[in-house]
Amino acid sequence: MIYSELLHESWRAMRVNRMRTVLTMLGMIIGVGAVVAMLAVGNGARQSVNAVISSMGSNMLIVISGARTSGGLRFATGSTPTLHLSDADAIRGLPGVSTVSPGSGGGAQIVYATNNWSTVVLGTNPDYLKIRDWSLLAGNGFSSNDMRTAARVAIIGQTVALNLFGDANPVGRTIRISNSPYTVIGLLSAKGQSFGGQDQDDTVLVPISTAQRKLFGTQLADTVRYIMVQADGPELLTPVQEEVDALLRQRHHIGDKQDPDFDIRNLTELANAAASTTRIMSLLLGLIASISLIVGGIGIMNIMLVSVTERTREVGLRMAVGARPKDVLEQFLTEAILVSIGGCAIGLVLGVVSTLIVNQLFAMHSVVTTGSVVIAFAVSVAVGVFFGFYPARKASMLQPIEALRYQ
Amino acid sequence: MVTAPLIRTLHMGKRYKLASGDLPALIDVNLQIDEQEFIAIMGPSGSGKSTFMNLLGCLDVPSEGEYLLKGIPVSSMSVNERAGLRNALIGFVFQGYNLLPRLSAVDNVTLPLVYAGIGSRERERRARELLVQVGLENYMDFLPAQLSGGQQQRVAIARALVNNAPLLLADEPTGNLDSRTSEEILAIFERLNREKRLTIVLVTHEPDIAAHARRLIRFHDGRIVEDGPAAGVRALRRAVS
Repeated sequence: MIYSELLHESWRAMRVNRMRTVLTMLGMIIGVGAVVAMLAVGNGARQSVNAVISSMGSNMLIVISGARTSGGLRFATGSTPTLHLSDADAIRGLPGVSTVSPGSGGGAQIVYATNNWSTVVLGTNPDYLKIRDWSLLAGNGFSSNDMRTAARVAIIGQTVALNLFGDANPVGRTIRISNSPYTVIGLLSAKGQSFGGQDQDDTVLVPISTAQRKLFGTQLADTVRYIMVQADGPELLTPVQEEVDALLRQRHHIGDKQDPDFDIRNLTELANAAASTTRIMSLLLGLIASISLIVGGIGIMNIMLVSVTERTREVGLRMAVGARPKDVLEQFLTEAILVSIGGCAIGLVLGVVSTLIVNQLFAMHSVVTTGSVVIAFAVSVAVGVFFGFYPARKASMLQPIEALRYQ
Repeated sequence: MVTAPLIRTLHMGKRYKLASGDLPALIDVNLQIDEQEFIAIMGPSGSGKSTFMNLLGCLDVPSEGEYLLKGIPVSSMSVNERAGLRNALIGFVFQGYNLLPRLSAVDNVTLPLVYAGIGSRERERRARELLVQVGLENYMDFLPAQLSGGQQQRVAIARALVNNAPLLLADEPTGNLDSRTSEEILAIFERLNREKRLTIVLVTHEPDIAAHARRLIRFHDGRIVEDGPAAGVRALRRAVS
């Protein structure tokens, strides 16, 4: 039989039993809708995790002052300043390292006019913003002059700006950090929550020289709490990590077998772990949703079996006037596939609509990808063929004499 | 013999295998049917009429002997080949009409042409032409349920003719119709037999109906017990002599 003929016949059969066709489609509609929506939401979740990850900075290692062991007691990581500015300078010279930013800071009370706010003051260098991929909303970063002279200048985060200045422009104003006046030279853009749920905008940056010499006055003049190291590319991260480890062991006179007095953390590894978790989650969601596709397929098979029984005489007559078993098979198969594709089309619309609703309700950025649409379509055709085949084959194997006699 | 007869059976028989043993439904049928014959088949129920018709219609294959349709041995053909043969050579008319309820009269008539692979425009043209011939020019787009029994049977006849098949097999075509409508249907058969040189094999219980045929074959217990001129022909001959 010609395909247009098959489509026409199937369409006619579907239209006669409208209610039944719609109910049969319902399984596919829900199945496809669920799969599309779940994949979209999973995608959205992955994207927001990726956004958080990239806000931390990419291709980044953090070297933290290590745990000190004193009389058998082991103190917390970072409790002892073992890293020095000279360590940072040495790391900067390693191959594959693009940027190095040492940091040292602590909590401080900030006052502007009648407002005051308690936050973390971080001493750092101009490269910090580059590593963190953090832009300034207003004003400028630290100049080399600021660094050299340990100038009393500060760059403030959004949360700090909001609490001290409200909507007013803070650039150029003078704030007091631990009772010393500092000029605000820059305002950071909003970065949102960090991976651990901390407000990254609740911070004040000052030149590291200022932090060391004027603000916190560390006992050991040039120690830092941590050093951020950015590699030239993701593939260089592991070699750079090994180089930094070797370099610092050498500089700190620590043997290969001894515990180091520093700790190197690879944030990308952490990020990848998080990303793969969300990927598995979205895969799982999709998998659960596709179970409903299979249930929908069984619904199609069920109705097709009923339809074949109902139309036994029709099959007998068609065979008597010249239909080959193949023609009958194709006819019922086409019908099953049409029902399944029809359900798929409606399900796609439903999936897109529910994705939009989820986006609205949970402020997500779920996107229905072309890939998931193609997959949903292919799967529904496959479901139609798979679950339509048995009933269609049953119809095609009817004996015309018996089929014609069937009441 | 220049051309093969339309139908030839050689010791044709059919056995149904049942749990209780073989049931011979048709035994040793030898006959020849030529073009333009009009044959009535009679016999009590279970005498083998239906089995015979099913074999003639290539809906079934004989278990013994041979059936040659236009010289083609049917028993050695595949299912698909027999479907093609039915499509090209045989038109069926049933007691219960067997029209597809959701198709209009025209669409019902076009059905065999669909499987013959003929385009939709040509199909519709031929179907309408045939519906005019059976007197249904005003009912072309009616659904079967909107037609009377006689009208439905005419649609079925048009369907049997649409492929220009040389053989029409009618299984009690008037069984569900009143006597006046039956006469109308038979008048159509006679006209087709005469004008279109159509070979008609008709199963019936009623002698009145059988009287329209020119040859009568009577079955009993799976065997042919009578094969000769029909009553109408005999009466005609008596009148002439």
